[in-house]
Amino acid sequence: MKPSRTSIRRKLVTAMMLTSTTVLVLTGAALILYDVASSRRALVHSLTTRAEILAANSTAALAFDNPDDATRVLAALRSDPSTVMAALYDRHGQLFANYPSHRASTAPGSAPVRMGSWFEHSSVVVHRPVIEDGRTLGTVYLQSDLRALTGRLRVFTLVVLLAVVGSVGVAFALSTWLQRGIATPIGTLAEAARRVSEGKEHSVRANVVSDDELGLLAGAFNEMLGEIQQRDAALRGSEARLRQLNGDLERRVQLRTAELEASNRELEAFSYSVSHDLRAPLRHINGFADLLQRQSRANLDEKGRRYVETISESAKHMGALIDDLLSFSRMGRSEMQQASVNLERIVAEARATLSVDIAGREIVWQVSPLPEVPGDPAMLQLVFTNLLSNAIKYTRGRTPARIDVGATADEDEVVVYVRDNGAGFDMAYLDKLFGVFQRLHSAEEFEGTGIGLANVRRIVLRHGGRVWAEGKLDEGATFYVSLPKEVAGERQNREAA
Amino acid sequence: MPLLVCLPRRSSAGAGRRRSAFATTAALAVAVVAAGLALPTPGVSATRNIIAREYDLKAAFLFNFAQFVEWPADAFAETGSPITIGVLGLDPFGGRLDSLVAGERVGNRRLVVRRYRSVDEIDACQILFIAGSEDDQLARIKKTLGHRSILTVGETRDFTAHAGIIGLELSQRRVHLKINLGAATAARLTISSMLLRQAQIVASSED
Repeated sequence: MKPSRTSIRRKLVTAMMLTSTTVLVLTGAALILYDVASSRRALVHSLTTRAEILAANSTAALAFDNPDDATRVLAALRSDPSTVMAALYDRHGQLFANYPSHRASTAPGSAPVRMGSWFEHSSVVVHRPVIEDGRTLGTVYLQSDLRALTGRLRVFTLVVLLAVVGSVGVAFALSTWLQRGIATPIGTLAEAARRVSEGKEHSVRANVVSDDELGLLAGAFNEMLGEIQQRDAALRGSEARLRQLNGDLERRVQLRTAELEASNRELEAFSYSVSHDLRAPLRHINGFADLLQRQSRANLDEKGRRYVETISESAKHMGALIDDLLSFSRMGRSEMQQASVNLERIVAEARATLSVDIAGREIVWQVSPLPEVPGDPAMLQLVFTNLLSNAIKYTRGRTPARIDVGATADEDEVVVYVRDNGAGFDMAYLDKLFGVFQRLHSAEEFEGTGIGLANVRRIVLRHGGRVWAEGKLDEGATFYVSLPKEVAGERQNREAA
Repeated sequence: MPLLVCLPRRSSAGAGRRRSAFATTAALAVAVVAAGLALPTPGVSATRNIIAREYDLKAAFLFNFAQFVEWPADAFAETGSPITIGVLGLDPFGGRLDSLVAGERVGNRRLVVRRYRSVDEIDACQILFIAGSEDDQLARIKKTLGHRSILTVGETRDFTAHAGIIGLELSQRRVHLKINLGAATAARLTISSMLLRQAQIVASSED
């Protein structure tokens, strides 16, 4: 038997049994009490009647002072064994006659004062006047025991008890049979619920057919399961669709990435080969310009020498451009190293590298403490060398030149700035600043290929950071480089964890 | 109010030893008292007491007869007529009868007491007590009364033998009743069986 059904069944049966037993016992008690009350009343009534009869028969005996006759009248009580004692009293309350007369009478010598009927010590007493023609001739006193009463009570109680016990038995049988109408559907429902919760299968249905709240409950239950099933199916459908879309997306991304990588590689290969291809003729130009200079210095006039110098310088400049382009493309292709880079050392190194440019200059350096960041040391060296080189270059007109290097840090990144009080730039051309070969100043003002900042941007982007700048024409510029504290891959791993 | 004489506590016939001892003592006492009747002054008041009690009883009986005897309709002049208790001859009751019946009703009839010196004086009467003084005249009285519906009551011996209807006999401190049923029937009187039970039924010696 399933536990749920047993306890409901027991509860129902217990409830019904308790109700019916209580009701039966109460009813039985009420009946018994009523019977006791009514049989007492009946006893008193019958005893009173008897006393009246005795009184009626004793009038003459009392009137004519004939105790013998009175005794004879009372002797008739012999027929009723429940009579304890009877007595007649005369007008003055003196004992006139009594019954039983064969032994010491228990009759009081004078009439009790109390009249009427009452119960005392397990007997019932009636005391009535004997009246003839409106005149009281005396009183009759009759005492009877309660055997009839107790006998009847016993029998009645027994009968009631049997009836109650029998009814309780019937009630038990009936309640056991009736509880099924409630407990069975509940059990079915509970069983279905259990199967659903244990097996998580929603194909289960509660088979309850009854035209009441239980049927309603089961119906609702089944409906819910049906809905769950539907939603499940819908969910799975959407999941499948989602996966499919995801897959599509992934494939597209992969395709795109492959395309991008391919084009990237093509681009890099192209720029590499182009620079290499460009170098060869350039070498010729350079070499022969040099030769010409050396060989034909004597033969050339002022103009001629200038022309050759210009060719040489231009060729060198072009070489520098090609070098930068090469290194730029190399930067794009090379693998990044992972190390903890001490930025202070980087800056010091950069200053050392640029010592030639620094020499003879009045530069006020203000280098604040710089943290360590993860990254490629060589690449980052390039970045800062470039930034400082720019700062040195564009403050040439200033005395003293001020170059501040510092850093701020927040949770995720370090922001390094390089501030100078040099030529500055117009913020309107901000987006050109970091472009390849973009220059905001002419070669006469400041030399350079215009690839430095593009390189810086590229490297910093590869580190997962950002570059930007602020500046004002003729009032200096500040270049910002933000570098993440954690390498992007690590952060992804951490975030995924 | 009917007077049931307050006799000392009596014991019923066949009581226990203690009771009979008491009864015997009482009877002895009465006997002593009765014997004292013959004695001078100290016994007289005692005697008077006994006599007083006897006639209280008899007066009560006369009164009670009215309740246990039925007269024919023509015994009364009207429905409102009283029941007359007559005393013929020397009245031994004194004022007892009068005080007893004063204000009483039996069967809704009043009661009156009349005294007659001679039987010829008797007109409407229902109960007639014939005193002992008329004892020798009984036959004539009976003849004069004839079949009139009068309940004749006497206290002499053989009263009922001489066609008197109810005789009162004092014996053993009790007034015993003797009833001549034939005489009662002749007088068209119906005596209640309750009353008959209390009495000894006798017949006329002449019948």
